[in-house]
Amino acid sequence: MFRLFACTLCAVFLAPSSPAAKVASSLVRIQETSQEPNYKAPWNGGEVNGGVGAGFIISGHRIMTNAHVVSNARFLTVSKEGDPKPYPARVLHVAHDCDLALLTVDNADFFKGTMSLDFGGIPAIESTVSVYGYPIGGDRLSVTRGVVSRIDFQPYSHSGVDSHLTIQIDAAINPGNSGGPVLQDGKVIGVAFQGYSGDVAQNVGYMIPTPVIRRFLQDVEDGHYDRYVDLTLSYHPLHNPAMRQSLGLSDGDPGVVVGSVFGGGVSEGVLSPGDVLLKIDGLPIASDGTVSIDGDAVEMAEVVERKFKGDTVNFEILRDRKPLHVTINLTHAWPFTLQANAYNEKPRFVVFGGLVFQPVDANFISEHNPDDLRLRYFFDQFITQSIYRERAEIVVLSSILADPVNAYAAEFRYDIVNKINGQKIDRLDDVATAFKKEADSYVIEMLGQGRPIVLERKEVEEARARILSRYRVLKEENLQK
Amino acid sequence: MKSLTALLFVLLLPQALRAGAGSPTREKTPAAISNDSLVRVNSTSQAFDFFRPWTKKAPSMRRGLGVVMPDTLVLVTAEIVANHTYVELEKSSSAEKSAAEVVVVDYDSNLALLRPVNPDFLKNAKPLPLDSGARVGDKAVILQLENNGLIAETPATITTITVAGYPLDYLSLLTYRLSSPLQSREGSFTVPAVRDGKLLGLLMRYDGRSQTADLIPAPVIAHFLADAQEEKYSGFPRAGIAFASTRDPQFRRYLGLTEDGGVYLTEVRPGSPAEKAGLRKGDIILAVAGKPVDQDGNYDNAEFGKISFSHLTNTLAKVGDTIEFTIQRDGKRQALSVVLAPLDKKNVVSEPSIFGSQPHYFILGGLVFQELSRPYLQEWGSGWMKEAPQRLVYLDAFQNELPTDRGKIVFLSQVLPSPNTLGYENLDHLVVNKLNGVEIKSLEDLARAAAAPKDGFHRIEFEQDPGVIALDAAEVEAGKSQLMQDYGIPALENLGEK
Repeated sequence: MFRLFACTLCAVFLAPSSPAAKVASSLVRIQETSQEPNYKAPWNGGEVNGGVGAGFIISGHRIMTNAHVVSNARFLTVSKEGDPKPYPARVLHVAHDCDLALLTVDNADFFKGTMSLDFGGIPAIESTVSVYGYPIGGDRLSVTRGVVSRIDFQPYSHSGVDSHLTIQIDAAINPGNSGGPVLQDGKVIGVAFQGYSGDVAQNVGYMIPTPVIRRFLQDVEDGHYDRYVDLTLSYHPLHNPAMRQSLGLSDGDPGVVVGSVFGGGVSEGVLSPGDVLLKIDGLPIASDGTVSIDGDAVEMAEVVERKFKGDTVNFEILRDRKPLHVTINLTHAWPFTLQANAYNEKPRFVVFGGLVFQPVDANFISEHNPDDLRLRYFFDQFITQSIYRERAEIVVLSSILADPVNAYAAEFRYDIVNKINGQKIDRLDDVATAFKKEADSYVIEMLGQGRPIVLERKEVEEARARILSRYRVLKEENLQK
Repeated sequence: MKSLTALLFVLLLPQALRAGAGSPTREKTPAAISNDSLVRVNSTSQAFDFFRPWTKKAPSMRRGLGVVMPDTLVLVTAEIVANHTYVELEKSSSAEKSAAEVVVVDYDSNLALLRPVNPDFLKNAKPLPLDSGARVGDKAVILQLENNGLIAETPATITTITVAGYPLDYLSLLTYRLSSPLQSREGSFTVPAVRDGKLLGLLMRYDGRSQTADLIPAPVIAHFLADAQEEKYSGFPRAGIAFASTRDPQFRRYLGLTEDGGVYLTEVRPGSPAEKAGLRKGDIILAVAGKPVDQDGNYDNAEFGKISFSHLTNTLAKVGDTIEFTIQRDGKRQALSVVLAPLDKKNVVSEPSIFGSQPHYFILGGLVFQELSRPYLQEWGSGWMKEAPQRLVYLDAFQNELPTDRGKIVFLSQVLPSPNTLGYENLDHLVVNKLNGVEIKSLEDLARAAAAPKDGFHRIEFEQDPGVIALDAAEVEAGKSQLMQDYGIPALENLGEK
């Protein structure tokens, strides 16, 4: 506590009667050493980075923070406010789809003299909240105050593809604030997690509200985090009077219309495009797709958001003008997640004859940034154009380790592999399997109208050791995430 | 002035002496071209706006230097007269003018012929003969029009003679590549190059950084002029194929190629002369018109040396000619006769260019439908491949891979908000599968289906979300004139001439 005397500014924050003093005994500073995967030389580990985030102690000797604070972590330490000692920490659970994580410290000394924080509800619009953290890397606790501006569904930038309930506040959220608690009346009402850079919007910060946090905590009670189970369908508002009439709805009726039902999802075979969704779990669905929960109009998806794997959702629908009751079992999460940023995964690849084959996902695209028109299209439209129905993964010839065996393959870079020796390539594993089959030559057909690549087994064998040593390829394949 | 002439004389003298002593190809003085062989061309062009297909964009002026041909015709690039509204000729010496009509225009070879409306306008002009026998290393002069009406001459050297893609990017023809330090000037829409007082070619494109100028060469012009003489212009033929090199020894062994040469056929376009002749993907082309084809697709041309065999089918041959393709299929040699034909542009899925005619469209209750074409996508500007809607870019780029009976791609291009389109305002660039239960393969299909709503509704089915939308047929009919008035649309459809 001697630091208090050294810094009058801190003394203001940490005066014993202030709420900050209480929070100080719950707040932790998280120092992360992470290693980014390397998608260009996938047999190598990538760049090692460091970062700072915030976290807070909750019941059960657990520390809550953001998933992005601990993603790809190789080594984590936490320290308490006013205690310079760093303690090694480990991740208990991480949920990349809602950007939350739980850590613990094995050294029991760490939790001595700390206090765990409790969670509150959803704060009222215009009410004041306090944000705690270590913005822009500082060592000492910082507090900012803001007003609750908006409660809304927002995209979570960590995965890039998920949206959940989010609270917008007018206090800036900066790097280092991430994972810090947002408090009102001594209770945590959110976890600070994302903001905008100053040139996009100012005084806008976002926090993860307690319904999302509580769902995460409940999900991990069984010792395992299951992902959100989505309905995996798209629906559209029904504002057009002619459209409503043609579906057999009157002007005043509620309802939205199903646009697509994604293959492999939980709604496939239960709902169909053109079905009108009238009620979800008994709640009437307005023509803009909202339902009323506790007096607030929220997206219909919020009803499903609060459920868990294994739960069911009941719909009252209109199909061909006839009312129907259907039940959707939330048995599994949508399997085709290649557009989501992935973390804590090893790049998968196969090297054969100096040709490197990789499945395309968001991580691959962000590192390779290929210009190839077909590849871009396959990645961007993987879901919207139902490409996943033709192939589970987009496998490409990602790079060529130049050698006489592949001297004429350069023009095929970033082409999508369609077949090897007549066998359709549905996923990377099929590439590995095809090359392990005995054959005199391997005929690799790409999508589109080019010629096939032909590799003779004899030539590949001859080149193998030469390529591995010349390019320092430490491993010829990795099929596990 | 006199002293200047004298000085020039002195400066030129040593060069002339050297030329007399040595290589005959070394130089030719460019002054051989008289002004009587060149005419200034001023063309006003006005393109249609593909985003608002019922309107034209603002007019713009293009200038160039036309070349006088026999029969009082003037040769220019097709580019200068694309979407023209008014073309005039102007004598560079006297500034005398005459309106001109476009006699023939060919966008494939980027060439056009003009004729002055005033028959006496070119009475005293001297037609410029076409060059022949140009070789790599020959010197030439590129002629540009200065703003003050004078003609600027820039020396150039032929560095490469090859078959390369022309500006519209789907026909490859003979091209001369010249090295020349050209300056950028206004009025560069037709820039002739001459050699020994004869027309070597017209400039097709110029890259200022590498100082390379690509010419539409005299042999291509000769083909164009010969065709233009005929009653009906038939244009440049093609076989309709794409091929890959067989350099890779592993690939050659896989194909069972023992002799040298041969290329692998990667694509035979549906409905093309090659398809009609029975060529198939995977065939090996060993010889064309009796000339052996090497592993890169070149043959030995008496004039130019190694050059792509497509020179035989696209430039040297004429529409209707029969060319023999010697192929290897299943290890056996065989000969197939290909009757060459031009590309049927009206029947391609996405037209690569549309000049001078109004884009087709059909408006139904504020929903604007159009047919996919490259010019539509190019309205996004030079970055259109990345900026334009990706589904449409993909369909255009890979149209040859679509089922052969795909027809045209009809899509909802935009919504003009009106009471009928309430709730549909944000829909755009959606490909139409069906209207009122009828499969849509052209705007004509759409127009016919729109005449038969079902149960009082138009039911539009899209390939993408939201899947289906409906319009009240009676309301659509009743709202027509208001829609035209509100958005200033002179007609709710243009389906072209029947």
